Amino acid sequence: MKAKKNALAQGFMRCHDCGYLTKTIDQHSLCPRCDSHLHARRPRSLQRTTALLFSSFFLYIPANIFPIMTVNQFGAGDPHTIIGGIIELIDGGMVPIGLLVLVASIVVPSSKLVGIGLLLLCAHFRWQINARRWTVMYRVIAFVGRWSMLDIFMISILVNLVNSGSVQIIAGPAATAFAAVVILTMLAAENFDPRLLWDNQQNL
Amino acid sequence: MHSTHYDACPECDLLLRAAQPNIGEKAHCPRCGFLLSRPRKQSIERTFALSIAGFISFFPANLLPMMGITLLGNANTGILMSGVIALFNEGMIAVAIVVFLASILFPLLHICLSLLISGHLYFNRPHRHLIKWMHCMHHLDEWVMLEVYMLSIIVACVKLMALAPLEFGWGLYAFIALIIITTLLSSNLDEALFWQRIDQLGKENQP
Ligand SMILES: [Zn+2]
Ligand SMILES: [Zn+2]
Repeated sequence: MKAKKNALAQGFMRCHDCGYLTKTIDQHSLCPRCDSHLHARRPRSLQRTTALLFSSFFLYIPANIFPIMTVNQFGAGDPHTIIGGIIELIDGGMVPIGLLVLVASIVVPSSKLVGIGLLLLCAHFRWQINARRWTVMYRVIAFVGRWSMLDIFMISILVNLVNSGSVQIIAGPAATAFAAVVILTMLAAENFDPRLLWDNQQNL
Repeated sequence: MHSTHYDACPECDLLLRAAQPNIGEKAHCPRCGFLLSRPRKQSIERTFALSIAGFISFFPANLLPMMGITLLGNANTGILMSGVIALFNEGMIAVAIVVFLASILFPLLHICLSLLISGHLYFNRPHRHLIKWMHCMHHLDEWVMLEVYMLSIIVACVKLMALAPLEFGWGLYAFIALIIITTLLSSNLDEALFWQRIDQLGKENQP
């Protein structure tokens, strides 16, 4: 039995931009309140999310292999990768800050990649799941994404302040890759439509 | 049809009777728990006031030095923009642009848009671009990352304190004020109410 409680099943579409509910299922109509295009679900949600997810997955590899910044001290360069910087913080006794950076730059991006992947598989293969729990997972993924920019902003502060002839911090190629990963996963989360999880449930 | 008596949950598409919670109460979707509406007291007035305060504090936060460090006799001070310029000079153009957008341009645009919209609604003035402004503000919201920047400042300070003593300037205090104001602003801005008022204004002023 297909869910009858859904607005779409009863002939309503909700505007993505202003939230106005319209009694139509014509996919070419415009919202009467704000003139945006009406869509029952985000257009090509699964394809777009998959494309963004794969791009960010491939960029995640250089982001972790290449140095994110290099500390030049009296002529000797000391390149750091993302993980190297965290290990140095923890070795230096700054455990809470080290853990914070660990969460923001390793735990959040990698669990986002896995989480969005699972959401896509679930929507595509019509898994019968606890949709409420999965929607909460989607919400967490969408919320935490922006906090991964922590490392990028920190580099811009350090590059600017530590610049005195003999001691210098230089940003590395991983910074570009990592910034791209954060932005692409944010876009992937934005393009995923959690209503697809609910559409596939047989016993609602 | 009476579509305005109904509402649909944006995350699970459940068709609901439009909830009208009182001020201070919250309406959640019974099926997925999504926060459907949370009316705010004097949302338009407060948004207008907070937008003005945010607009005013934006300039000291961006123009006054935030912090300074003296390394081996060389003194360096930083503002938001100097970090962007330093990245740009090192050839990290893409990263420089991302930092510029997320920490300077988008916050400014967001404050300006909420100032324009709440100002027009406060004085009951219709404007043909109100809908466009609402769309822009809605899409910008996620890309304003001032609070993330604040956390980066804290982490950077901890790292730098091991190297040399730090000094904090008025720019940092203005920046903290700006973050508090923008947080209050986004929690007081009731998008559903704003859309209703824009709709009303448009209908009242149609010939
Ligand atoms: Zn609309
Ligand atoms: Zn719901």
